[in-house]
Amino acid sequence: MPIPTVSLKGSIAARLAVGYGLLLAGAVAAVSLLFYLGTVGVFERAIDNQVSAIANRLAQAWRKDGADALRREIDMQLHDSIDSDVEIVGLLDERGRILAGNLPAWRARLPASGELAFATIERDGAPVSVRLVALRLDDGTRLLVGRDLRELDAIRSVIERALLGGAAVSVLLAFAGALVFRRSLEARLGRIRRTAARIAAGDLSSRIEVAGDDEFARLGADINRMLDRIESLMEGVRHVSNSIAHDLRTPLGRVRNRLDRALQASADPQALVGDARLAIEDIDGLISLFDKLLQIAAAEAGMRTRSFEALDLAEIARDMTELYEAAAEEQGVTLRFSGEGPIPVRGDRHLLASALASLIDNAIKYARAGLHVDIEARSSERGALVRVRDYGPGVPDADLERVTERFYRVDQSRHLPGNGLGLSIVTAIAQLHGAQLALRNARPGLEVSIVFAE
Amino acid sequence: MPNCLVIEDDTETREYLCNGLRAAGYEVTACADGAEGNRRAQEGRWDVIVLDRMLPGQVDGVAILEQLRARADTTPVLILSALNSVDERVHGLRAGSDDYLSKPFVMSELLARVENLARRAAWSREVNQLQVADLQLDLRNQRVSRQGTTINLQPREFRLLEYLMRHEGQIVTRAMLLESVWEYHFDPQTNVIDVQISRLRGKVDKDFDPPLIHTVRGAGYVLSSTPVLGHANTDR
Repeated sequence: MPIPTVSLKGSIAARLAVGYGLLLAGAVAAVSLLFYLGTVGVFERAIDNQVSAIANRLAQAWRKDGADALRREIDMQLHDSIDSDVEIVGLLDERGRILAGNLPAWRARLPASGELAFATIERDGAPVSVRLVALRLDDGTRLLVGRDLRELDAIRSVIERALLGGAAVSVLLAFAGALVFRRSLEARLGRIRRTAARIAAGDLSSRIEVAGDDEFARLGADINRMLDRIESLMEGVRHVSNSIAHDLRTPLGRVRNRLDRALQASADPQALVGDARLAIEDIDGLISLFDKLLQIAAAEAGMRTRSFEALDLAEIARDMTELYEAAAEEQGVTLRFSGEGPIPVRGDRHLLASALASLIDNAIKYARAGLHVDIEARSSERGALVRVRDYGPGVPDADLERVTERFYRVDQSRHLPGNGLGLSIVTAIAQLHGAQLALRNARPGLEVSIVFAE
Repeated sequence: MPNCLVIEDDTETREYLCNGLRAAGYEVTACADGAEGNRRAQEGRWDVIVLDRMLPGQVDGVAILEQLRARADTTPVLILSALNSVDERVHGLRAGSDDYLSKPFVMSELLARVENLARRAAWSREVNQLQVADLQLDLRNQRVSRQGTTINLQPREFRLLEYLMRHEGQIVTRAMLLESVWEYHFDPQTNVIDVQISRLRGKVDKDFDPPLIHTVRGAGYVLSSTPVLGHANTDR
């Protein structure tokens, strides 16, 4: 794989990598500086102090006891076996000749009196850098005190090399790390982007590979869930348009034929009125079909939450039981209600009533004559719940999942009136209320529950 | 003849409304746009106003209604809207409309509701007792009797009969009954209301003569001491 060109504008990974690289380099520089000052700097100050101290002591001796005492002091200083190999002392007369000390020769210009300076002198046949101070004595001679810096230079160069090496290694590491970071980021993002591209190209079933449990895995899982929803919606739309086309053809064809016949038989006003009436009935059926589809769409879009209020679920269930009691009795079905109110839920009273009515209506339709339909409202540990159960044939297990789809009808129920929208509306209403619709074959019969989240 | 103002921008719907209302005996004035409709609505001489929710131009139905109510004008208003959602309904009712009907509507439903609004003043007054022919309903002690015989009714049946009696001689639709007696607004799949009415009939009409509760085909019911010949034409 060729190293990708890094564009800071187009890559947050590159920006992060460069940013962290710079931050690291800055941190390394700061640490190095502190370390350098803490080692080499301290040595340098110690040397300066020492050189000044010796010079002052010697000058003191001269002032107190004269030139001879100074010479003795110089001798002692150079032979006291403490740092004698690095100490340099010289007494020079006015013309620069060396009167005492171990300074081999002095040719350079002397630094100002009392001022510490760097200089290079000849020592053991090689040029050596020294730190020194020159003091002008009152008799015109000058006292030079210094210290050989070879040792310090060695330490300094070791430290400098170590610091430079460390800095180079850390910058390299930062760069390599940034590159690795960027590649892995791009690899993870690449999966998401490739999936997005496949979906854009029309492959809706494509999903992001999810591995592990990091931010990207969670993002991937979220996107996958969203895609599942989109796919099922698309599938729904496809199914619905097919079903609408199919469901509308029949009644529209019927209306058309009726009107056609009415035109031909227009001589008979009685027949004309009859046909017109039947045509209107068919069209009313179509309008109510569209109303239901719009109702589902509105509920699914979550359009109605503004009209939500605090309600008693038990009261609605009781009202609906009462409303359908007489109709059920005509079919030879008894409705049995159980439930103690109030069961507080938030929602739209008319929509919930319509959902319950639809469930009770279904249950009556499928309950065998002479049997019961149970309607129950209660607060369960899972939340408020309302349940409708019949004792009819139930729904084949294979269809259980699909009966809430729009226009879906179980084969054995095709002879019964209905358009296969009832449960879709109930599902949409439940979803709008943050509730779950649960279907279960209670053997005998079907049990449908709407469970409200706490 | 009751005065009715119709504000509706769609020509076909407007004509359909006017024809239907005129046939039912209303003096109808029609407006096609919001500004003119607003001017006419504020004239204060209407018994009922039928108002389209969505109107072209600056002034929409709800704005007209709000202006009307701001002037403490209590003329009954029925809002007609293609937006069939509970929120819209609630919005319209909150703005001060007395009833709400979504398009497409059935003429008999609209007529029943307009008539209900036009006669509102007559039935909303405080009474203790309602009487139609020999049927008596006592609101204080919740008793119903006919020809002196006490009739036992369930609480809901009592309210159903009360509503029918308060609207004596006037068509009430199934949706109106569900809204007023049960206080739910939705379209029940089955003939639940018909069955409830037929139960009520079993108690109120079965053993007595003449029958008082009549079915108006394609429209609803009417409680009346005379047969509902006049309403046959309002069939859809």
